Amino acid sequence: MTAVVQAEGLTKYYGRRRGLEDLTLDIQPGEIFGYLGPNGAGKTTTLRLLLDVIRPTRGLVRVLGGDPREPGVRSRIGYLPGELALEGRERAGEYLRFLGRIRGGVPASRIDELAERFEADLSVQMRKLSKGNKQKIGLIQAFMHEPEFLILDEPTGGLDPLVQQEFLALLREVRKSGRTVLMSSHVLAEVENVSDRVGIVRDGRLVAVEDVAALREKAVRRIELHFDAPVPAADFQGLPGVRDLRVEGAGVRCTIDGRPDALIKAAARHTVVHIVSAEPDLEEIFLTYYSDEEQHSARQESA
Amino acid sequence: MLAKSLRDNRRALAWWTIGISAFMAVYLSVFATVRQEPETYGTMAMNKFPGPLRDLMGGLTDFVSGAGYLQSVVYQLFVPMLFIVCATLLANRAIAQPEESGTLELVVTLPVDRRRLVLERFAALALALLAVAVVTLAVAWTISVAVDMGVPFDRILAAHTGVYLLGLLFGTVALTVGAATGRKMVASAVVGVWVVAGYVVVTIGRSVDAIAWLKWVSPFHYYADGRPLYEGLPVGDYLVLLGATAVLALTAVLAFDRRDVGV
Repeated sequence: MTAVVQAEGLTKYYGRRRGLEDLTLDIQPGEIFGYLGPNGAGKTTTLRLLLDVIRPTRGLVRVLGGDPREPGVRSRIGYLPGELALEGRERAGEYLRFLGRIRGGVPASRIDELAERFEADLSVQMRKLSKGNKQKIGLIQAFMHEPEFLILDEPTGGLDPLVQQEFLALLREVRKSGRTVLMSSHVLAEVENVSDRVGIVRDGRLVAVEDVAALREKAVRRIELHFDAPVPAADFQGLPGVRDLRVEGAGVRCTIDGRPDALIKAAARHTVVHIVSAEPDLEEIFLTYYSDEEQHSARQESA
Repeated sequence: MLAKSLRDNRRALAWWTIGISAFMAVYLSVFATVRQEPETYGTMAMNKFPGPLRDLMGGLTDFVSGAGYLQSVVYQLFVPMLFIVCATLLANRAIAQPEESGTLELVVTLPVDRRRLVLERFAALALALLAVAVVTLAVAWTISVAVDMGVPFDRILAAHTGVYLLGLLFGTVALTVGAATGRKMVASAVVGVWVVAGYVVVTIGRSVDAIAWLKWVSPFHYYADGRPLYEGLPVGDYLVLLGATAVLALTAVLAFDRRDVGV
């Protein structure tokens, strides 16, 4: 199966300013890929390169097996720009029908169905649309021709929670039908529930690509154990994966990396009366990546 | 794509057509009075404008004949300028303005070849201007008959064709600069400088030897120097305007095709 996105050494400079450096990434069919990073890290640059809005300085990019310069390739993509501009007196519905015609025809019933799901009013002039409503129109136009590949730049920005739920439901349907999604975000929580993999980009470089499942396993988890009697600290010291250990009388607090197995087995020798385990916060892992990278570059600078 | 560009511009087109028609109607209807008192108005026109300014107005030597009046108040300066401004504004809406506002980003991701996109927008510009030209030609002809100017239709047609070609040429300049840079201001500035310099060169500058040769790069030379209102269609001159437009349009296509959009 050909990858939906194949990028090799993809690099983009705007004059001397770096947009993206040496991106190598494959996205497989049927995958939902979350593309994460703070603003200005190079997310939008990457997505625009995939759509031939901008041209690479160096490197190779293939989308759906072809060059994104070919109109035929772009007709199989649905795109939501990060800053969607819609203006003029034209009504939203007319504009959607125009985009549908250019893309080879979209049945009016499909547009209406999506408009209903997002509760979008298509009879409003585009210049009068609020930010959230523009975003709804943007989502409708990206999904309406049922493209094989969806590229969504910050799709949930400006949407209220109910519409966000509807959007996530739509994404799951897309995944079920075997189509591929690449969506960017600066908040991990937004993509972690629907993504199969996430890539983290920072300062124009892809610093990590992880399975969401694997990321969860790596998650730092806070655990509190309470026993019926004070426990010796020595029983818990030096357990694999256990950090920040604090033993205070009958209570044990720590954080663990990865599996809690060793800790649970050590605790099982005593009588456990209460256990508290916080859900792994992927946001925290995300930040860990970043601070590691920061320490790394700080070391390099001081060397 | 083409139909959409025209539809998006229909309001602007209607207003420009009404504006230019109204301008001609007001000025041409005065001709009846001018003709009744040729001496008064002839000298008045001469006195009102001091030397260089008179040159700028095309000489004003013949203000009271039908053709002279028509040339002086309509085809010399005002109507060509109105067409150029209209064409520049329309041309900016093709690439530069949507690029600056951000609406072009989605458009270039549509399954349309970039070269075709520019060509269709150029075609829309040419057709839109043509619509303005046809309606205003009808108005010019109707009024000139009504006030009995005595200028044959084919001469008015020749002059009006020149106005159209001139407007289209400068519009295409704006389109091309916009397609190459994505900047509306740059496009308008290039047109502005070329228009003013080009016009001055063929009017005041004609008697200054040092700059007289510059007339060859002034589009106005190919428009007015053939005196279409007096001598009919200057085929060669108009073909130069048309050829320059075609070269510019091609440049626009090539420039836009190799460029990053919206950065």
